[in-house]
Amino acid sequence: MSWTHDEVVKEVRYVVAEHAEPEADITERSELVADLGIDSLSVMEIVAELEDRFEMTIDESELPNGATLGDVVAAIETRLEAGDKLKETASV
Amino acid sequence: MIDSMRTVVQALEDAAESVHTGFRFIEEAKTSEPFFTYSDVERVTARYGGAMQAMGLKKGDRIALILPNNQDFVFAFLGALRAGIVPVPIYPPAGLRRLGGYLENTLHIVRKSGARVVLTDGTIRRLLGTVQSGATDLQRIQAIEPIRSSRERLEPEKISLDDTCFLQFTSGSTSAPKGVIISHRNIASNVRRFMEEGLEVEAGVDSGVSWLPLYHDMGLIGFVLGPLYYRNTLTYLPPMLFLKRPVRWLETISRLRATISFGPNFAYALCEKRVRDADIERLDLSTWRAAGCGAEPIRASDLRAFADRFAPAGFDHRAMLPCYGMAEATLAISFPRLGEGVRTDTVGAEDLAAELKANAAQPGSGGAIEVVNCGKTFEDHEVAVFDPKDEASEHPLPDRVVGELRFRGPSVTSGYFDEPELTKQAFAGDWLRTGDMGYIIDGDIFICGRQKELIIVNGRNYYPQDLEWEASSIDGVRKGNVIAFGTRRPLDDRERVVVVFETSLTDRDARAAVKNAVGKAVRQATGLSIDDVVDLDAGVLPKTSSGKLRRNETRRLYETGELFERTSARQGDAIGIAKEIVKSQIGYARDALFIKK
Repeated sequence: MSWTHDEVVKEVRYVVAEHAEPEADITERSELVADLGIDSLSVMEIVAELEDRFEMTIDESELPNGATLGDVVAAIETRLEAGDKLKETASV
Repeated sequence: MIDSMRTVVQALEDAAESVHTGFRFIEEAKTSEPFFTYSDVERVTARYGGAMQAMGLKKGDRIALILPNNQDFVFAFLGALRAGIVPVPIYPPAGLRRLGGYLENTLHIVRKSGARVVLTDGTIRRLLGTVQSGATDLQRIQAIEPIRSSRERLEPEKISLDDTCFLQFTSGSTSAPKGVIISHRNIASNVRRFMEEGLEVEAGVDSGVSWLPLYHDMGLIGFVLGPLYYRNTLTYLPPMLFLKRPVRWLETISRLRATISFGPNFAYALCEKRVRDADIERLDLSTWRAAGCGAEPIRASDLRAFADRFAPAGFDHRAMLPCYGMAEATLAISFPRLGEGVRTDTVGAEDLAAELKANAAQPGSGGAIEVVNCGKTFEDHEVAVFDPKDEASEHPLPDRVVGELRFRGPSVTSGYFDEPELTKQAFAGDWLRTGDMGYIIDGDIFICGRQKELIIVNGRNYYPQDLEWEASSIDGVRKGNVIAFGTRRPLDDRERVVVVFETSLTDRDARAAVKNAVGKAVRQATGLSIDDVVDLDAGVLPKTSSGKLRRNETRRLYETGELFERTSARQGDAIGIAKEIVKSQIGYARDALFIKK
């Protein structure tokens, strides 16, 4: 299945919100650790959940320590695009 | 019975007869799980050793290993030993912001150890430019990739029990990392004791699972060298994979019907929190007969919670083994008896503070604290308690009197590499000063805390851990991210007690409420008046590279006022051993990405 940018953002926001402080204002520029009060262990948990949702393995190197929500979205979209290209090549 | 008084090299050559047991390496992105019998391991490590000799390394030379991949690390480490080359494990880098600090630390270890070669992977290699230029003995930084396929032959070296096996650099909370000299005799002595007495291992039959980082003694000695002597099969998971999906640790134990696996306290707490009920239904942990816990302070409540939660999966609470050890003791100092589970002693906090006496108290009564029983030391080793000022270890203290725990026996290091003064300070007479405060009852060892960090108010002693534990129980405080210490300014008539905690709350009123609650809780529990409670943003508290709280450093930062200027972004957030590992794994690749640009 293919995802639009808005859908990816929505999914990521949903997963991140479950781990963020209840009052936190979540934007694409929010840093997971510094702004949303998510500790590094929970970041790992978020990564695992997103991997399940998008059916992919996210390489840790794509998620820097000071990752923002936007970084996470970008990492997932890079993966999704790579997957699509693979499919296109396969269908040619 | 296997003769364990052999060098690691001899043990490996002997194990090569085994074509059924060996090492299995699980990697996150791969479905295959390469398995190397000890016969394979013998052959592969000979090539690694040969490759190191081909670099010009000779017996006794040091080689620093910065290898995040488990398979690379195990083969390179054992390969070096076979050539008589002394490996110096170094943890992988930790994030862009702290790269400066990481490089400084790495440079210190490379210099101090006099390493002639640093062996690392291609990605990390690109980050180490300043290390290359700053260490005079260092001849090259070698990438591991070409070594994997090397065909160099190993020139046999004669290795004896008293040769240095490797240097274990420890990040002390008060000083720069020091290289603990571990000889083959140390390894053989300690391995024999924890494998035979501690774990009652059945050679070639018991099997283990480990996600522990291999640059740390519990992972390296406990789960590589120990099993090698007894030819037990070991399965390794990347530390990162465990942190992402803790259930993978338990699934692996379940699937492979493993009998032995260890983790620090936080690992059990993490599983208790993260593993889902549906996953527990699929697990069978009934084969897990030794669930060890060490490397950081142990909370009985965390281990009990784990045992309760996983009882439906067949986990036997009696398998829990809270152990005590340290790098200077090679690894293990004491093990409780197998099959007894977590046992504790409840003592009055009042007597502990006022008289340094651990007097039994009624569980649940006011001012009672629970101390975990870490068991007894091993045959031909001794543990005793002394007054820290007893420089010659002349007067061991009686049972239930708190003092400094000291250890002696063939597992004890001869000292720190190229540090005669620190080595001298580490011993009192012929006893190793552990630096830990504790007491003994009928040979059973109970740890209360680090001696240097005692808070002393009006002649009474308080353990910072107890204050921190109380503060951690308050909602809004980041659990495990609390530091308590005493400080005394020149004009103060007494030590002032300070509690510093991290919080993720941003609302000013909410933070103030949490501060109040912390002060109140600690006051109520200890009877101490708290002079200052400080709230910090997440990630500000200083930690050692292995994630231990740095109390003395926090005190220093508090005294100079720097603590209040620190931000999470500036310092990075080394929170707990786990998080340090996370960073070390996610950090370096990111650094590479940035530095390439």
